Amino acid sequence: MNRIVIGRYIPGNSFLYRMDPRTKLIAMILLMVSVFLIQSFIHMLVALLLVALLLVFGGISVKRVYLGLRPLVFLLIFTFLFQVLFNRQGDLLYSLELHYTVLNLSIAMALVIMWGFTKRFLRFRLLYFLATVAGVFLLFHYLPFGIVLGEGTFSVYEQGLSTAFFIMVRLVIIITLSTILTITTKPTDLNLGLESILRPLRILRINAEEIAMIIAISLRYIPTLLDEANKIMLAQASRGVDFQEGKLKDKVIQVVSLLVPMFIISFQRSDDLANAMETRSFVPGQKRTRLHILHWSGLDTTALAFTCAALIGVILLRVVGW
Amino acid sequence: MAIKFERVSFQYRGIDEKGYLALADINLSIAAKGEFITLIGETGSGKSTLAQHMNALLTPTEGRVHVFGVKLTSDKKKNRRQRLNPIRQRVGLVFQFPEYQLFEETVLKDIIFGPKNFGVGQDEAVERAKKMIKVVGLDESYLERSPFNLSGGEKKRVSIAGILAMEPEILILDEPTSGLDPMGRNALLEVFHNIHEQLGKTVVIITHDMNTVYEYAKRVLVLREGALVYDGDPSGLFSRKHVEDWNLELPEILRIQRALEERFGIKLDKSPRSRKELIEALGEVVG
Repeated sequence: MNRIVIGRYIPGNSFLYRMDPRTKLIAMILLMVSVFLIQSFIHMLVALLLVALLLVFGGISVKRVYLGLRPLVFLLIFTFLFQVLFNRQGDLLYSLELHYTVLNLSIAMALVIMWGFTKRFLRFRLLYFLATVAGVFLLFHYLPFGIVLGEGTFSVYEQGLSTAFFIMVRLVIIITLSTILTITTKPTDLNLGLESILRPLRILRINAEEIAMIIAISLRYIPTLLDEANKIMLAQASRGVDFQEGKLKDKVIQVVSLLVPMFIISFQRSDDLANAMETRSFVPGQKRTRLHILHWSGLDTTALAFTCAALIGVILLRVVGW
Repeated sequence: MAIKFERVSFQYRGIDEKGYLALADINLSIAAKGEFITLIGETGSGKSTLAQHMNALLTPTEGRVHVFGVKLTSDKKKNRRQRLNPIRQRVGLVFQFPEYQLFEETVLKDIIFGPKNFGVGQDEAVERAKKMIKVVGLDESYLERSPFNLSGGEKKRVSIAGILAMEPEILILDEPTSGLDPMGRNALLEVFHNIHEQLGKTVVIITHDMNTVYEYAKRVLVLREGALVYDGDPSGLFSRKHVEDWNLELPEILRIQRALEERFGIKLDKSPRSRKELIEALGEVVG
């Protein structure tokens, strides 16, 4: 339950920590927009390098960010493969003739089944998966014996490769940027910043303070509720709920036995929280003073200037068309 | 031995890979019959963690736990291959907060949930529910009520009945009397005592109440910061040295007995464990 890295604050004291949360939020949005506007391969690499530099000078360990990226590795590889295999625009870069025959189809099937059985015993599952996929393709190419059922080609086009590259790098940069934000900013500060940024929405009769409060409370309660869910699972397991075995009908009852206490406990918690807030004279919508007040410093102006420059630069590059 | 701990340590995984050591090098064995054990220790000393090892809800990060012949080690894969569910029927664990387990529409359905999970038939389970609801001091009319409209004490009793209906061989209770009034507490402790005396079952109670320890327990385990520092009979525990070292409170009866000795010079022949025994002993002395 404690493995969730996304959205976790880790204490530190680099310049990223000293920045105002408002700056960080705005800068992150501007940088993300910039990354989406970049169209050239080299500029993308430069952007990736800049983000890496930000990590180094911001004193954030790359391992942390990698941990944040890990849940998405599968998605990244999937989109990459999808683009490479199915995008057929631009020049042909590479092609491989495939022959589907009874012999190699059955071997391929055996390979896939073997993968399904053995994957749980290995550590590098993703690598194993990729190796299996590659193995299947090679099989179709190099074992064209037996009754031929069909022909096909595996081909890589220029456009497909570059789109795949852009999507991957963009995703990596965006996730890294948001990980930097959450690692260096306390949830309360983040919330203050968000509230401050959303304040102009008052014109539209949207109460930024309430939205910020809702977000803050939800974030605060994720670990608590995970903890409660774990306790409920243990309590039901000691009454014979076996989450690994059982028929479909049993599974439904098992889920109900988790959900009902979960609902009841969440309502109880929110009731308690509401009471606790009221005893401290919290009234929604009322004007409040703050313990922590955000300070705008020279660092923030500099940082914002740099990000604005980056955005304008990217727009100019796009207009000029380099 | 039904439950045996061999050099067991357990570490909760923390945020930064730095774990929190909840149990440290525990050696312990508990018989399947005839024990009445209380488990005491400050909050956070690892009592609940230890209890959850006894029915394989948690498995050790170091060392071995044997529960009714099933060996549990730090090897998660090996543990998973064994059937752990039967252990949970034989070692019944009642959690501290009933809110975590009550979920059915009626008390009856909630009580028979456990037994039915372990393959007991509907009729048999209902019979057990009818019996157990009386055992925990409620009447049959409760069976048709919703578990969510009960008071805290009643919820607690229903959750205990839910475990008792599984007919476990060893019964473990995590602070079964917290949140109950004194009358209800004594009644429930009598229930556990009867289960122990009449059916010969081993009962393990986690508690903060030294009176419970002194009056009922044949054996007491003291945990301090995850280590088992005392395993023996209660009267030995309340010797002056231990009480001072471990921030324990003396049981009321013992305090009265000592006050009688110091202030009035009344020496009792034997050491009474309960109020009743104290009155009897006093009667003998005073005549």
